[in-house]
Amino acid sequence: MIDNIQRIREEARIRISSIEDLEELDRLRVHYLGKKGLITTILHQLKNLEDEKRRELGATINKAKDELESEISLRKNELRKLQIERELEKSQPIDVTLPGSVPLEAGSLHPITRVTHQMVNCLKRIGFSVVSGPEVELEYYNFEALNTPEHHPARDLQDTFYINKPVLLRSHTSPVQIRTMKSKQPPLQVLAVGKVYRSDYDVTHTPMFHQMEGLMVDHDISLADLKGLLGYFIKNIFGARPLRFRPSYFPFVEPGAEVDMQCVLCKGNGRECRMCSSTGWLEICGCGMVHPNVFKAVNYDPDRYTGLAFGMGIERIAMLKYGIEDLRSFFENDYRMLEQF
Amino acid sequence: MLLSLNWLKDYFAKSDVRLDPKELAEQLTMRGLAVSSIKRPAIGLEHVVAGRIEKIEKHPNADRLSVTWVVVSEGENAPRLQIVCGAKNISEGDIVPVAVEGAVLPGNLEIKNTTLRGVDSHGMLCSGKELNLSQDSQGILQLPKHSQIGRPLAQLLGSDDTVLEFELTPNRPDCLSVLGLAREIAPLIRTKLREAKPARFRISPHRTSAIVKVEVDDPGLCPRYVARVIDGLKVAESPEWIKQRLQSVGIRSVNNIVDITNFVMYEYGQPLHAFDLRKIESGTIRVSACKAPMDFTLLSGERLELKEGDILIQDGEKPIALAGIMGGLNSQIAEDTTSIVLESAAFLPEQIRKTTKRLGLHTESSKRFERGVDLVGVAAASERAASLLRDSFGGNVYHPPIDTNETTIRELTIAADMRDVRKLTGLYDLTSEQAAEVLEEIGISSHKKSTNILSVRIPSFRLDLRETVDIVEEIARIIGYDAIPQHFAISPATYDRFDEGQIDFENRARQSLANLGLREAIHYSFTSEANLKNFGNGGNTLVRLLNPISEEMKVLRNTLLPSLVQTYLYNKNRKVKNQKLFEVARVYLSDAQEETGVKETTFVSGLISGSTHPRSWNTQQNNVNFYTAKGILESLVRQLTTVFLAFEPQKNHQLFHPNRSAVIKLGLREIGILGEIHPYIRSTLLETDEAVVLFELNLDALKKFERTTVRFKTPSRFPTSEFDIALLVDKHITCNALVDTIRRVGGNLLAGLEMFDVYEGEKIPQDKKGLAFHLSLGTTERTLLDEEAHQLREKITQSLAEKHGAQLRT
Repeated sequence: MIDNIQRIREEARIRISSIEDLEELDRLRVHYLGKKGLITTILHQLKNLEDEKRRELGATINKAKDELESEISLRKNELRKLQIERELEKSQPIDVTLPGSVPLEAGSLHPITRVTHQMVNCLKRIGFSVVSGPEVELEYYNFEALNTPEHHPARDLQDTFYINKPVLLRSHTSPVQIRTMKSKQPPLQVLAVGKVYRSDYDVTHTPMFHQMEGLMVDHDISLADLKGLLGYFIKNIFGARPLRFRPSYFPFVEPGAEVDMQCVLCKGNGRECRMCSSTGWLEICGCGMVHPNVFKAVNYDPDRYTGLAFGMGIERIAMLKYGIEDLRSFFENDYRMLEQF
Repeated sequence: MLLSLNWLKDYFAKSDVRLDPKELAEQLTMRGLAVSSIKRPAIGLEHVVAGRIEKIEKHPNADRLSVTWVVVSEGENAPRLQIVCGAKNISEGDIVPVAVEGAVLPGNLEIKNTTLRGVDSHGMLCSGKELNLSQDSQGILQLPKHSQIGRPLAQLLGSDDTVLEFELTPNRPDCLSVLGLAREIAPLIRTKLREAKPARFRISPHRTSAIVKVEVDDPGLCPRYVARVIDGLKVAESPEWIKQRLQSVGIRSVNNIVDITNFVMYEYGQPLHAFDLRKIESGTIRVSACKAPMDFTLLSGERLELKEGDILIQDGEKPIALAGIMGGLNSQIAEDTTSIVLESAAFLPEQIRKTTKRLGLHTESSKRFERGVDLVGVAAASERAASLLRDSFGGNVYHPPIDTNETTIRELTIAADMRDVRKLTGLYDLTSEQAAEVLEEIGISSHKKSTNILSVRIPSFRLDLRETVDIVEEIARIIGYDAIPQHFAISPATYDRFDEGQIDFENRARQSLANLGLREAIHYSFTSEANLKNFGNGGNTLVRLLNPISEEMKVLRNTLLPSLVQTYLYNKNRKVKNQKLFEVARVYLSDAQEETGVKETTFVSGLISGSTHPRSWNTQQNNVNFYTAKGILESLVRQLTTVFLAFEPQKNHQLFHPNRSAVIKLGLREIGILGEIHPYIRSTLLETDEAVVLFELNLDALKKFERTTVRFKTPSRFPTSEFDIALLVDKHITCNALVDTIRRVGGNLLAGLEMFDVYEGEKIPQDKKGLAFHLSLGTTERTLLDEEAHQLREKITQSLAEKHGAQLRT
């Protein structure tokens, strides 16, 4: 019987290797391994043998069966491969340069939103949180509490939009800081971001624009901290560039300063530069130490606390970052501009 | 403020100081006195020379023009240039600047020989403005009579001069003067100021007070008034040096008396005014607030209306000057004036500002008064002008003058705590000795009062130094902000964050819509009233601006939709197709409950148009419609919140298609609207065949239902039983009605429901529509038996038939 098996096995092996057709291979499989196949039949015959003999023969036959199965399967894959290769030889490659088609064209955020996220995230990392407040404000929050008395130039009707005195459209985001300070004692580290309004409309002014202002109040906050903070911020937004802090005046801070960054266009040489009016420097940010009168207005003790504050126009930052030259284009919403962000 | 460096040099102890304009500008800028430009007046004036007008005739073909003949070189046979000119202030014999062929004037104006209205013109007579020497564009610049003909203008005007233009901050009125700037510049160039020689006047036999009286109604309005009579004067042209000084800073020379008042104003920062003594008929100068509106004519000839509160200088009861701003026509210096009253005073800055703003009248004088003048300087400027009038023009000065406030001007001393200085600047090692030294540099003296207290004497001209923090800034300014170290503060506030939920929610909405293919737009918050009304959002809650820039920017938006429609149109006119836009912004409504009377609510709005996908050879094109926008909205709301929105048909909104729009409801509350744009608006305003769909949603109303976290549900381990049912129903039956029934009957065993087809057409009766649903039945506890699934399916179809008359389509 073993000889018989060996013979069948040998014969099958030779036949498998010579088969060139998948259907023929399947017929062969049925011939040997099908329900009535040669191997299956032999396995059935084992029933009549005594135990020991059956076990011995059974092992041999099963081994032969397994081997045969795997040989058939291998040959099957070989034949398939050959078949596919023949088919591929007949076909042509596609034009891979045809444009792709997306299921959905992604939209975009407005450049102002985009740059705002960058600015805000940079400062959130060092502990600031964002607060918001109304755009329609009271004179008190917009001016008086900010050490800007009645006859200060900033209060002229020409600059501020009024709804009806004393209700106005906030001319800066600083009233948010007043409201925030009134709601919580120091320490405080907040950003106010949003739309602000000024009655100015020409090539370099739009009646609405966006501002981000930061405020940090604690014991012993100093000008040195302000310099460190803004150095970090500007480096994050624009990369390492020379900066200068120069004295300036805003009624709600003292000492007050303005931060200039070396011009991104002329790299500071200032020759015939339209971006920096040939000064070599770009004004980026107004800042300073919170004026004691502001603290008094919000019931902070100016003897215990000091604070730093800074503010900047977001459009200006976006213009410098993205190379946008016309301020007004931010609010035209030209699709061909929006698509670039 | 313009500063001529040649003029500046007069005030230094050494007259031969060398100034590098660029370096100086840089240093001053870093001290808070920002220099915005450096001008060299001579540049560009190479071919501009002094010429004498020999003859003037009317232009034969133009009323406003005249033809002049000008000589630009000396000598008997000097050629005469024929030049056409449009100015009125010229007469034969005048010496004027002539730009000859080849000159390139500021602004790149090239001068060529040309023909004007048929008359040849060989050059141009120039105004101060054309030469960038002054703002005066009214007439041709008049040069001194004895100027050498043919001499280049640059040499005549002092070509070595440089003028710095400052953009001064309002806290430094003291620097609106040559002397003030000299004080700041002296330490920068390590030199000292020249000691001013006090003017000495002999006590005259007649005091000023014997001739005129001065009455100040309210010292609050006029804290000091110094008046001085000077007679024996003769009105004439100013000497060259004064003209040149004034010229260099853009002030036009008028006559010797007026020029001296301007000269001293520029020198000391104290505006002066000269009245013709003859015109003060009552003998009393009264400073008084205007009581009732009245007409007044300025010396410029301009008529204006005075209002209550304006500070007036009166001759008795008759106004002769608008105090601090401009004198009146009725008291100005005339050609035959010989005696004057010289006024030097201080006025309440707030009132001067109020008046100038109202009248839109900004003068060199008002600029200084509205920022405040030095009370001590009031007398000093008067003396300076008097001595100049005496020494240069033989004026007889009445001494002493009238002074309404000689005695009560007190010097201010500030006790600055060095601990505050160190704390605020971060200069922790700064000693009081060092601080004193720094202040001394700009002429502020101080002494150490105790370990930490520096007693600082504030000079009268530093109106900006009033409290300790001002001293802190002053010290930091002089030391230089560059010298302050950088430090990085970490505050405990880091751990005590504010709730950013509202802002995050808005940003999530933005990001979701961008992910869904829309592009964010940002529009002005104001628009025209018509725009809101035409788009169906008028109403009595509109918020209007009191002082809008224009009608187009007058009303605060109560909806974002009109802006999106306008932007659509803007882009459509630029041939953009398939626009998908959104905006997240506040809208504004009057609301008496609010502190400001205005309620601000954040809306999200969108506009989609054209095809759903970008055009591609590889995909089928579908146009957007109501359902595209609805899908976007639903996806947005699903990402942001846990709520289901209800959509109900609406017909009332002018902007929307009455059959293809819906109001959006959250429970019973209407929180938005959605739909295709009204076909009338589409065809008339937008002029397009493209589908345009709009939506608007109150984002604040959704905030309460924000999806803040994820509640995870384990996916069922058991297979579901899946099948489709196709229904035939009457057209008026809504999808929602069928879905409700399926859900109710399906109960817990309904694992999934999807509406996947709608059919109306030939294959079914006209009053019917076909809807097809895909259902998944199953439970997370076990595999559903075939029989159970079958029974449930039967129950569902039965209910649909009973409730909605739905037949199964086969």
